Amino acid sequence: MASLRVRRLLGPSRRWFSETVPGAPSPPASPLYPPVVASITAKSKAAKSRRLQRFNQRVHAAATVEEKLRLYGKLQRPKYTVYPQTFALNADRWYRSFTRTVLVPGMPPRAAAAKRSVAAAGATPEAGRAPEPGVEAPAAAEAPGPAKTPEPAAGAAPYVDIGDLRSLACDALLQESFYQKKKRPFLYRDQDHTPGPFLTQLVSTLAASLSGRNPLLAASSLDLNPEVNYYWHHGEEVVLHGHRKGRVDPVRFQIDDNPHLQIRVPKQLPEVVPLESDLGDVPVIDHKPSKLPLFKKQYENKVFIGSKVADPCCYGHTQFHLLPDKLKRERFIRERLEDQIEVVYRSNGIASLFAWTAAQAMYQGFWSEADVTRPFVSQAVVTDGKYFAFFCYQLNTLALTAETIKNNPRKNICWGTDSKPLYDVVEDGNVKGFNDEVLLQLVLFLLNRPKEL
Amino acid sequence: VFPGVRQAQWLTKTKLVEGLPPAVQGIVDNPALGLQELEERAKHVVSHARLWDTAEAAPRRETYCPVLFENLIHICRSMSGKYPSLSKRMLARNCRIAATWERESILLQVRGLSGILMNSMTPIPPVASKEEILATKEHVLETFYPIAPTIDLQEVNVYKELNDTGQCFRDGYPYSHPHTLFFLESANVRTDRFRPEQLRAKMLMFAFGNALAKAKALHGNDPKVLEQPVVVQSIGTDGQLFQFMVFQLNTTDLVSNDGIKNLVWIDSDQNLYERAQCVPEVKKRVVTKPAGISGFQPDTFKKFLALYLHGTV
Repeated sequence: MASLRVRRLLGPSRRWFSETVPGAPSPPASPLYPPVVASITAKSKAAKSRRLQRFNQRVHAAATVEEKLRLYGKLQRPKYTVYPQTFALNADRWYRSFTRTVLVPGMPPRAAAAKRSVAAAGATPEAGRAPEPGVEAPAAAEAPGPAKTPEPAAGAAPYVDIGDLRSLACDALLQESFYQKKKRPFLYRDQDHTPGPFLTQLVSTLAASLSGRNPLLAASSLDLNPEVNYYWHHGEEVVLHGHRKGRVDPVRFQIDDNPHLQIRVPKQLPEVVPLESDLGDVPVIDHKPSKLPLFKKQYENKVFIGSKVADPCCYGHTQFHLLPDKLKRERFIRERLEDQIEVVYRSNGIASLFAWTAAQAMYQGFWSEADVTRPFVSQAVVTDGKYFAFFCYQLNTLALTAETIKNNPRKNICWGTDSKPLYDVVEDGNVKGFNDEVLLQLVLFLLNRPKEL
Repeated sequence: VFPGVRQAQWLTKTKLVEGLPPAVQGIVDNPALGLQELEERAKHVVSHARLWDTAEAAPRRETYCPVLFENLIHICRSMSGKYPSLSKRMLARNCRIAATWERESILLQVRGLSGILMNSMTPIPPVASKEEILATKEHVLETFYPIAPTIDLQEVNVYKELNDTGQCFRDGYPYSHPHTLFFLESANVRTDRFRPEQLRAKMLMFAFGNALAKAKALHGNDPKVLEQPVVVQSIGTDGQLFQFMVFQLNTTDLVSNDGIKNLVWIDSDQNLYERAQCVPEVKKRVVTKPAGISGFQPDTFKKFLALYLHGTV
């Protein structure tokens, strides 16, 4: 009864004046009634949005990152399994639309400036064969244009001898393909026989010898055959059959990736472009993801970068992917799908790097309702043993769900190159046609580090 | 039947010395190498291998043993920023080793996958001085009378004596000197793993096989006393316990029981850490064992690194 409650509230000091006293303080600031909100359990849109809000608050209020990840992936429903290494036609367009990624061909400009300085430092001893670090550094600083002088001056100081690194790479290649006596490769396991061990040897020896130049590599952690997983929602669909038929559900995706090798570091790589930059368009595909083909399965929603949250090396540096036998170039050429060869490399780069950077961002506490405040950058090299393609990914946004994407101007950016061969052929203990550019790009990738180091 | 190392000693005509040789011990104790800072990294690396590497609750030995080994090698390799000559090393996995020799009219052969082998361009200098080598002449090999020394060995009909394929590499391989052999006992079930004693015997036999094959490749097949002894190291582990071994081959004259003997230094049963707890153990609402690595022994890691650096530092 409203009137009874009012009289009781006015309490013992009731002076029921006929006219109101001017200047008297108004009733207490807290509302008299609890707020009128939608029900939690009703079968209505308002109730559903209230449940969602309560869930979001629970996740926001989680004490630790592990608790947040546990709540984020608690509800299991059928989801699309996205495979980074896929034979699907034009998969990279689909993956770009799922992950809101812009593909920019070529490498980011920051790498180009450092490239010139390292190339200048490496080229001159090749001609003269008399390496003198003190002489080379000023010579390399003069070579690039004056507009970019401060950058190369900092980049030329660590003197990188390309000749040494080339001999290391050739030694690794020769050992795996020529010198070591191995049995014949198992059926359809050619990649495990030679290119796999070669990649492991190459990366480990290069990373070790470059750790003197790059202190980040000296503190890094090298994982062999790690697991990288990420789970996210993007877009909406109507449930087609089952007891939940007719309801509007988010479209769920999961990436379960196994890179061949990955390097994790304790400090984050610097951003390439500012957070809000717009370098292109994200393809919009009107079809359902199952047309790719992509299939649904229900299992554990995992978010994992390669090691648990407690690991100090929680940021990613570089991943190395080896393409399996199923996706080798000869097969595509035989089926007259030459343009799909590059698609394989690109889809692998985009999907794997999106999963890795997004999982790194979740390890720092960001998620789709709490978008990232700084960009997360990682690199990847996709190879089939001979041809190498390089990718650099900048994650600007995690907000890909139907509600959060409405007012989100940010896009993720992926820079990628085409695949180029590292060598032509290995004959009689000699590597013919070694391509220095590919090695140089690899070295630049490994030398990447934050500005303050 | 017998502690395996004693039997292996007789078979390879070797004298055993406890502890690591002074050259390696010198590297361990050398403060200029900066081994202290690496302790922190070593601890992280052990935690990564034992606690953080998997999305499940706890990694199994099949996973954590190789991961721990790879991480330790990664730390050792990153020292090549400081010592550039360390880059003249190459790891080779899945090597097949084969070597034959005669011991008192019994033909013996070592064959098999010898784990992971690290090769280097330059050989390790001999660890024992000339006097020590000559002193082994007086040493008498322990015999097991009345038990034949070839007990527990498989008797096979060997149709081809394989010796020049002792190293699984072709001629012209630049990294031609075997440096260190690594053995990882990573089977999950305890009975599938070698006991520490048997592991040491296996390490000795394979180190001997590699050294013998290298000596025969360098100096020919005739049995003789070597002017330049061949040194091969060996490290075996099951993920927690480490066995370190340095083997020096002084002679390929193995038929007779007297004369110069080979030498082996063994440092056995070195724990890298006491226990690795993934989930804290709680009894009656009180945490008895907190999560994490307890009882980390930096000396074991220092010995690992010293054996890695031996020969270039």
